[in-house]
Amino acid sequence: MMQNNALQFKRQVTIKLADVKLQGALSRLQSRFVEGRSAVISEIADLPQTRDAAAGIRNRVLNDLEHWLLHFEREATARGTVVHWAETGEDVNRIVTEIAAQHGVKTAAKSKSMVSEECGLNDALERAGVTVMETDLGEYILQLAKEAPSHIVAPVVHKNKEEVADLFAEKHGLPRKTGIAELCREAREILRPAFLNADMGISGANFLIAETGSALIVTNEGNGRLVTTLPRVHVAITGIEKVVPTLEDVSTLLRLLPRSATGQSITNYVSMLTGKKSVTDPDGPEHFHIILLDNGRSSLLGGEMQDMLRCIRCGACMNHCPVYQNIGGHAYGWVYPGPMGSILTPLLSGLENSPDLPNASTLCGACAVVCPVKIPLPDLLRKLREKQMERGMKSRQETLLLKTWAWFALHPKLYAFATKVGVKFMAILGGKEKLLHNLPGASGWTNGRDFPAPTGKTFRELYRKEHNK
Amino acid sequence: MSARDNILNKIRKAQTPNSNAAEVIAQHLAQHPRGPRPNIPDDLVAHFKARALKLSSDVLETDDSKNVPQLLADYLREKSLPMSGVCWPELADLPWLAAGLEIHSHPPLPHLNPDGTTSHSTKPASGQVAGYLPKGEEANISLREFNDTDAVGVTSAFCAIAETGTLMMLGGADTPATTSLLPETHVAIVDPKRIVATMEDAWELMRKEFSQPPRAVNFISGPSRTADIEQTVTLGAHGPYRVLLILAPL
Amino acid sequence: MRVGFFVTCLVDAMRPRIGFAAIKLLEAAGCEVAVPEQQTCCGQPGYNSGDRKSATALALKFLAEFESFDYVVVPSGSCAGMTVKHYPDLFKDDAALLARFTALGARTFELTDFLHNVAQLKSVPGKFHGTLTYHDSCSGLRELDVYQQPRALLATMPDVTIKEMVESTTCCGFGGTFSVKYGELSTRMADNKCTHIADTNCDTIVGGDLGCLLNIEGRLRRNGDHSTRVLHIAEVLADTGE
Repeated sequence: MMQNNALQFKRQVTIKLADVKLQGALSRLQSRFVEGRSAVISEIADLPQTRDAAAGIRNRVLNDLEHWLLHFEREATARGTVVHWAETGEDVNRIVTEIAAQHGVKTAAKSKSMVSEECGLNDALERAGVTVMETDLGEYILQLAKEAPSHIVAPVVHKNKEEVADLFAEKHGLPRKTGIAELCREAREILRPAFLNADMGISGANFLIAETGSALIVTNEGNGRLVTTLPRVHVAITGIEKVVPTLEDVSTLLRLLPRSATGQSITNYVSMLTGKKSVTDPDGPEHFHIILLDNGRSSLLGGEMQDMLRCIRCGACMNHCPVYQNIGGHAYGWVYPGPMGSILTPLLSGLENSPDLPNASTLCGACAVVCPVKIPLPDLLRKLREKQMERGMKSRQETLLLKTWAWFALHPKLYAFATKVGVKFMAILGGKEKLLHNLPGASGWTNGRDFPAPTGKTFRELYRKEHNK
Repeated sequence: MSARDNILNKIRKAQTPNSNAAEVIAQHLAQHPRGPRPNIPDDLVAHFKARALKLSSDVLETDDSKNVPQLLADYLREKSLPMSGVCWPELADLPWLAAGLEIHSHPPLPHLNPDGTTSHSTKPASGQVAGYLPKGEEANISLREFNDTDAVGVTSAFCAIAETGTLMMLGGADTPATTSLLPETHVAIVDPKRIVATMEDAWELMRKEFSQPPRAVNFISGPSRTADIEQTVTLGAHGPYRVLLILAPL
Repeated sequence: MRVGFFVTCLVDAMRPRIGFAAIKLLEAAGCEVAVPEQQTCCGQPGYNSGDRKSATALALKFLAEFESFDYVVVPSGSCAGMTVKHYPDLFKDDAALLARFTALGARTFELTDFLHNVAQLKSVPGKFHGTLTYHDSCSGLRELDVYQQPRALLATMPDVTIKEMVESTTCCGFGGTFSVKYGELSTRMADNKCTHIADTNCDTIVGGDLGCLLNIEGRLRRNGDHSTRVLHIAEVLADTGE
């Protein structure tokens, strides 16, 4: 299992806000992805209906997940796919390692899979003696740099091209390239043999299609096609919630996924993979395994967090999140960053391990507006805060403050008196400038901002005076 | 208890079981209803072309597929690209050599007969992607395995989707996926009659002509690309650097 | 029409003149305005911090004080959003109360939304002269669709020019208790907003939510900007600003 470092969130925020290179990188994300989405999402004339339909498709499966999973399994098996079930990330690692051993796999070429990041699969395979090559350009760069992805769609968004150029020069031992196109060409040439020689291809799956027993993968680089076509064994790893009923249903989701993710009307490649290579097929894997990972997902079913399972991993919520835009993905501490990560990390990896994540949001709602499957992300963040309150996980100071405020608010006479005294006192402290530079207990505010002082009298005092004239 | 049982038990426990789930699912699968779809203009060919250009595909047109080799030769020459490559067997008959191109066909591959035996088909099965028996010297082509160094890969397409300017490719005995994937230039001959409006129409065509999806169905929408470095779109990631679509009746 | 005016705790304590400006506008629109004396806080701080219990108690208090009015008007998108969107969530398991809160929500409006769409105010008493930029606060914008309304009202003022900042709809970083709990992040978000404001060269920034305005003003002043005026939309429309 990937370690959860979300306990370090606040410390990481300080570091990330001060990281000049990161800040430069994040500004690009905003212009490319936010503007990119906005330019193509308007191609969908009936966007509200399409989003409703997409959410409905996901709900249809989630409300009856057992039956849809079993139907998928039946169809996939009929086409010669081996379907595995994994309760935890460790189970995935064990299953993939066993498949590798069974087929004498020495090298694996891998296309992007966030689920495999949950499991820490690469390390497990390396320990078992299998060489793993990440082939998505971003993931490949991260593998060289020994870093984790900071975005679920653009994993290396936190690095600039100079950093990539330095890294390639060091690791490839070739003359340092400077242009982005040259860097891409160099990676292509280094990775092509890896595809041709790999014994095993590992991929994720964006959707599992129950009707046909297929795994569907959306990619741009073509590495997804290569790892699912050339090696003699293909293992696709995905979450149990990824089932979609029919080809028509998947079409609806495909209209929204790339537009929401990267501002593309469609990704370069959409690959629907069904079964293993048949006698007549000229290419394709001789063995096709699909691993269905639970890893806590089933615990979201039937409850108030089930909506989160609709997620199709487009990343629009983080692209549009003013918190993510300022700190990037690493600060979130686990696999999934941004609003969806602030909900999934506590749910899959322990609320006690990620106390800040549900709270580090202004609930501004920008994420919910762009979510293609209408997940009420701010509401779910708030529900996690409620869970923290119920389980006594909030600091004594915060709880006391909230209770005190509510108590006064429920006692209008005392409230009126307390605010009257409070604002008068603060107005005096504000002085001629009418600004408070320090507020005891609110240094979080005053470290970076002045606090505009109140004018000295409450509305209720003035209003009463006026109306008793 | 297996992991499968454990997971299914957890799901069962979390959800109120739906007594007629099997029926509801069977009905949804049988009807496979369509969701909201974009309005595609009646001129599917024009719309397809416009969308394909938007995806950085190049588009050429001819009313006779015999002209395809010459169009391709001119295209490659203009871009100073290698004049050689590989094609799907069904396209081996086109006059490649006359246009100055050295295009090799994939070898014919065995077809699976209903009785489980295999054989080489001698003529295209009606309505399906053609099987092909090469004609050797007559066609001026040679036969060999696909090679990673092939510069150009020539294919047709199962159909094309106007909605996004997308090719729909079905893998099969004579339609290897690698031809559109490994070369730096992918050339696809698109029959204008096989351009459909939406993805749903494409699936419907597949259902009509095949009893089940082939192992690999690929939607291809322009040259491979990456924007992983500084979110700058760069064409030619791991797949082709360019995609040339030639609209020609097949 | 009888309008119950919910002042909001922030306006009550920090900027009473916004409350008076709002009343002036409501009266200009022909409303009979009442200000229930016992009103305090809508319960949003507790609700957004996971304290459902206190939010529920305050929601009931709000219902008791405001249910009798034809309309309830609030000079804040976030407090109005609490009433319209979130009170029903608190009572989703109590059909009778849910119905009452839903009905109340349907009669509750953010100030500019009410003035423009319900009262259809065509001219405002304000005499503001100059160019201003407008910050769209999150709750009003995304929970209540408040975007055109303040602009339409400002457009009735002959001497007002609106110069839009980039990302006017991006959060300023206030977020209630977020602004204190995650002060550094909140400050950075406010700082970005201040940059966008400065880029417009406007000497006045206007918004519809006092929380956001205090946040923006606090950052402007800390940055040494003591001249940019930070005003609530009601102050501009009613010209009771200093």
